[in-house]
Amino acid sequence: MKPSRLIRLCAVLAVISLSGCSSLGVKPWQRDVLAREDMQLGSNPLDAAIDDHMYFSKEASSGGRSYAGGGCGCN
Amino acid sequence: MAASCALLGAGAVRGQQTNMAPPDRGLLEDWSLDSALAYYHEDGRIQAIEPVVDVSKVFADGQALNFNITFDALSGASPNGALTSHSAQTFTSPSGKAAHRFTTAPGQLPVDPNYSDDRIAVGGNWTVPVTRVDAVSLGGKFSAEDDFYSVTLNASIAHDFNDKNTTLSFGINNEFDSIRPIGDAPVAGSDYSLSEKQSGAKSKNGMGVLLGITQVMTRNWLTEFNVSADRFHGYLNDPYKIASVLDAAGGTTGYIYESRPDQRTRKSGYWENRVAWTAQMSTALSLRYMSDDWGVRSDTAQLHLRWSWSDHTRYVEPTFRWYRQTAANFYMPFILDTGAPTAGYESSDSRLGAFHALTYGVKYAQKLPGIGGRAESEISIRAEYYQQTFNERLAVPTDLRGLDLYPGLKAILVQLGWRF
Repeated sequence: MKPSRLIRLCAVLAVISLSGCSSLGVKPWQRDVLAREDMQLGSNPLDAAIDDHMYFSKEASSGGRSYAGGGCGCN
Repeated sequence: MAASCALLGAGAVRGQQTNMAPPDRGLLEDWSLDSALAYYHEDGRIQAIEPVVDVSKVFADGQALNFNITFDALSGASPNGALTSHSAQTFTSPSGKAAHRFTTAPGQLPVDPNYSDDRIAVGGNWTVPVTRVDAVSLGGKFSAEDDFYSVTLNASIAHDFNDKNTTLSFGINNEFDSIRPIGDAPVAGSDYSLSEKQSGAKSKNGMGVLLGITQVMTRNWLTEFNVSADRFHGYLNDPYKIASVLDAAGGTTGYIYESRPDQRTRKSGYWENRVAWTAQMSTALSLRYMSDDWGVRSDTAQLHLRWSWSDHTRYVEPTFRWYRQTAANFYMPFILDTGAPTAGYESSDSRLGAFHALTYGVKYAQKLPGIGGRAESEISIRAEYYQQTFNERLAVPTDLRGLDLYPGLKAILVQLGWRF
């Protein structure tokens, strides 16, 4: 998939998500599965940090999940 | 020398996030600890050891504190940007010391065998609920290595609505870097043999913004979408990278120091989905698109599959990542000497070239009885294999035929983890 098509797809999905927010979601008593450790965003922050370290120092991209940059002189 | 980094403490408030620490019980043991020891090894190049410790606590009023410390020790051989040749090539390390001169054998990629660096980084983050549905987070990080210092500050705000099924967040990040290259900074684009240097420190600063939305889609599906942009300006060169200058036949006539623009603007979109398929299995799929004004475009897709058993006390997590980037406008693996003065920017840093990369990984973790009154602890082991392959290859002059000019990169990562 070409990059321009990918970003267009992401934008469409984001718009769908935003416009549908009010009809989405669960009641407080339906959060049992969402409370599971594996359903938490950033459930393994050190794994992500160490991976980001490797990718930041070897590729031209960074950020997305969080801010770009990284405070090191490796790239 | 320039070393490594970790992105700890760089987080905006992420919606729907549950901190793993329990509510405050007023004692020091209520702090939770997450630690890792990583070993990274590149085929024939650099190796690194990186211990990381992260402690955090959630207070009864909802405030959360987090501190972390990272240490990196790197050693090995680092490519200096020059091209593989059929002839032996002799270089001087950035330090300029005679003892650090090195010669690369014919057919081998020029790498500086004297590469070594240590880095320490400390960071912290403080999250404060300001209303029942709003939270503010402040964070910072300081890191120091032999030739590089960095200070990062960030702030973000998050707002929950729709019964806390939707979270909007906005954050800003500022980074201030100071570089004091070993052997001083070379004049960008200058002849390597003349060793023209500029004394004193160089600096670069960056500012980034991130807008995110997190949405509970169903009882089993959580999605997050971020858009972000950042702009860095200042000294963006790698002071240790040179490029080979070739004659028409491909013979090396000399080398020049690289020269990059003094500003860079990046934009990215990031979309992550977490889905619990069964009581034992879940996936986390993320997609990212990034572009910058240097001409780099990249796509990233990453999948984590987690399968738990024994009442979630054990799990295994295979991971796959696919990455592709286009080359920066000024990327050139070598420079043909036409006799005319060089104009514009040029870099042979392979990280600015066009390549794709694959990562295969697996993690195994097991829950154990808790420590210090905590319900449980966890130990884990993780391994990854990373491989870069170049996509675009220029037609090469006659003298370079038969050489591997795009060797790519192969690396492994092994990590032990312990948290409680």
